[in-house]
Amino acid sequence: MEPSTSTHAHHPPQSFLSKYVFSSDHKVVGIQYTLTGLAMAAVGGFLAYVFRYNLAYPGSPIPLFGELSAQQYNEFVTCHGLIMVLWVAMPVIISGLGNLLIPIQIGTDDMAFPTLNMMSYWVFLLSCIILLASFFVPGGSAAGGWTMYPPLSANAYHNTNPDFWTALFSGNSLVIIALALEFVSMLMGGINFIVTTINKRAPGMTPMRVPVVVWMLNIASVMFMFAVGPVFAGAVLLLLDNVIGTGFYDPARGGDPILFEHLFWFFGHPEVYVLLLPSLGVIAEIISVFSRKPIFAYKTIIYLSLVSAVLSVMVWAHHQFVSGIDPRMATFFSVGTIIISIPFAGIFLSYMATLWGGSIRFTVPMLWAIGFIGVFLIGGLTGLFLGSNTFDIYVHGTYFVIAHFHYTLFPIVFLGFFAAFYFWFPKFTGKTLNVTLGKLHFWLTFFSFNGTFFVLFFNGLAGQHRRINDYTLFPSIMQEPYITFQKVATISAIILILSQFIFLFNFIYSLIKGKKAVNNPWNSSTLEWQTDSPPPHGNFHTYPVVYHGAYDYSMPEMKEVDFVPQNLPLEKKTI
Amino acid sequence: MDTSVPLHLQQRKFVSNGMLAMIFFLAAEIMFFAGLISAYIVNRSVADGMPSIQQPRLPVEITAVNTLLLIISFATLLIFSKKFKSANSSRLFLLLTIFLGLIFLSVQGNEWVKLLRFGFSTHTSIYGAFFYTLIGAHAAHVMIGLILLLYLFLKLQKSTSFDNAKNKIAVCSLYWYFVVGIWPVLYVLVYLN
Repeated sequence: MEPSTSTHAHHPPQSFLSKYVFSSDHKVVGIQYTLTGLAMAAVGGFLAYVFRYNLAYPGSPIPLFGELSAQQYNEFVTCHGLIMVLWVAMPVIISGLGNLLIPIQIGTDDMAFPTLNMMSYWVFLLSCIILLASFFVPGGSAAGGWTMYPPLSANAYHNTNPDFWTALFSGNSLVIIALALEFVSMLMGGINFIVTTINKRAPGMTPMRVPVVVWMLNIASVMFMFAVGPVFAGAVLLLLDNVIGTGFYDPARGGDPILFEHLFWFFGHPEVYVLLLPSLGVIAEIISVFSRKPIFAYKTIIYLSLVSAVLSVMVWAHHQFVSGIDPRMATFFSVGTIIISIPFAGIFLSYMATLWGGSIRFTVPMLWAIGFIGVFLIGGLTGLFLGSNTFDIYVHGTYFVIAHFHYTLFPIVFLGFFAAFYFWFPKFTGKTLNVTLGKLHFWLTFFSFNGTFFVLFFNGLAGQHRRINDYTLFPSIMQEPYITFQKVATISAIILILSQFIFLFNFIYSLIKGKKAVNNPWNSSTLEWQTDSPPPHGNFHTYPVVYHGAYDYSMPEMKEVDFVPQNLPLEKKTI
Repeated sequence: MDTSVPLHLQQRKFVSNGMLAMIFFLAAEIMFFAGLISAYIVNRSVADGMPSIQQPRLPVEITAVNTLLLIISFATLLIFSKKFKSANSSRLFLLLTIFLGLIFLSVQGNEWVKLLRFGFSTHTSIYGAFFYTLIGAHAAHVMIGLILLLYLFLKLQKSTSFDNAKNKIAVCSLYWYFVVGIWPVLYVLVYLN
């Protein structure tokens, strides 16, 4: 470890600002993305608490908020969805993990374009600010549902001659602008990830030695890049409708509102897989380490993810079964949707096979990973029901859909993120988290999440519609046990939100008072664990050379440990 | 940084970072135009009599000449990058490309002013809205392309290594090829429908 062979040609930045704020170091950018995403999650979570409380006790004032009007309800539901998918999931799962993990796991010092990387974060922060600003303009933020379907998302029934500046500073337009900026930022990040992975891998890091999570992040970036163009076009058309008064989505003037649905879901559906794949990658890393077994069928997992990436852009219209699309087309999309479960079933099978016969250690990250598998399975299986166009007509727009996508997106975004957080926290901060608090956080989150959304499946099957703010107006549907179920969901949601304070406390307390972490606390073989905790500027003291795959666990050749670090020059026996 | 890697372990990059980034960026750009164009085609296929009879005729002939100019700029840029054999090769063809791009833009701008004077605007019909959006999106890309080429020209004035210059030329001209390549598609779809 001679300092003379430093892998980084530049001097590390010295002042506080250049070190922690305007830094182009991939670790700092990754942490910035993660923290911003978590701050946005607090906003999204608060919105969820307000309207969730309103649903259980309609009409009564909400603690910490007050009365919620119907317009505000729409606004909060819309912004909760937008924030959680685009301003929490994207920065935390794609940008945060990608920035933190890709360069260090492939054994290089930084991204291919560090400045572009830093810029992508600042563009993202700008988009966050514009989104939050939209709450404070006259008329409030967007309130037409998170999918922003016109005509609800276009101002005042397609005003043909809007005042440009008033229209530009309306909630709808600001949200669209924020969305466009977010896409630009994620595109910059995604291009960076792919170029870094292709061109900057350490010597010996062949494609099939790259950890699964890096593969998944790259496949997700390619998917994002492929899908984002049309939705960007759709957003441009919607913005023009709003601020200039063109009629792209106005049937009275020859436009078509369904056009937006197509452009939106062409992105919106692959987006789910864009988020799912990196999360699945994190789970692969963790279950392999804590089963002390190589991940089962590594190559198959990669190929199946590629298959799912291709399929995912061919299923988008299953969100539009009730929008009046051709029934023959609906059948095509229905079959496609059900087919896409095959690659994911394959990936899940190989995760199960990894656990099979392993010497499993129930550490905190492992709990989150196993929780992910269980919870996501319910989300995936209910997706099969919704994929069938005949069943979807019945439950479309009900709480069944709500429950389904929270059962998919909550594990992807939060269980996956927390698994990653508890796993890599010692590496990137150099401190150890409190295990008891971590376990408490897991069990409370796990049970309260299931309490919130499992009951909603029944409410949905009973026909309760997701966009109605006050069910006392519909006494024929709002009967027992569904009233109780709404209350169970609300109380569980409050517990879910409160239990995140344990995480917050653990995070801050461990950062200040936590025990110093060793370099490789989990006995993991991938490259990031073979350097200091936290890694120095430039990541490695000597340039790593890779000799092994990423998952060489339970190796009898090794004397003191049971794994082979990727950069250890050791002849691998054929077993 | 690569100096610390043993020579026999250094990986050869098949495509440079900049080139790779540009390829992926253009893939996303193509999907953006695909979204706009498919929206236009679908809309045209359901709307009857589009463009409507009352609308002014689009300047098909002058735009055909303009299309030709853009295609010539493609050729001049190709000649420039092929002829760039040493760090002080002639930059005449690069300037010619920028010049042709500027002519293209100004002819387009002139057309727009005329059409607006005839009363053909984004509000006339959905056709007008699509016309200005599609052609405007392309014009914005031509502008970005011209800025890139200008940046390239200024960079080449400074002394850089030949390999570096060659790579910059390849990356910037790829963007220009995309801008030129997408135009005939738009011309045929929008003007000659």
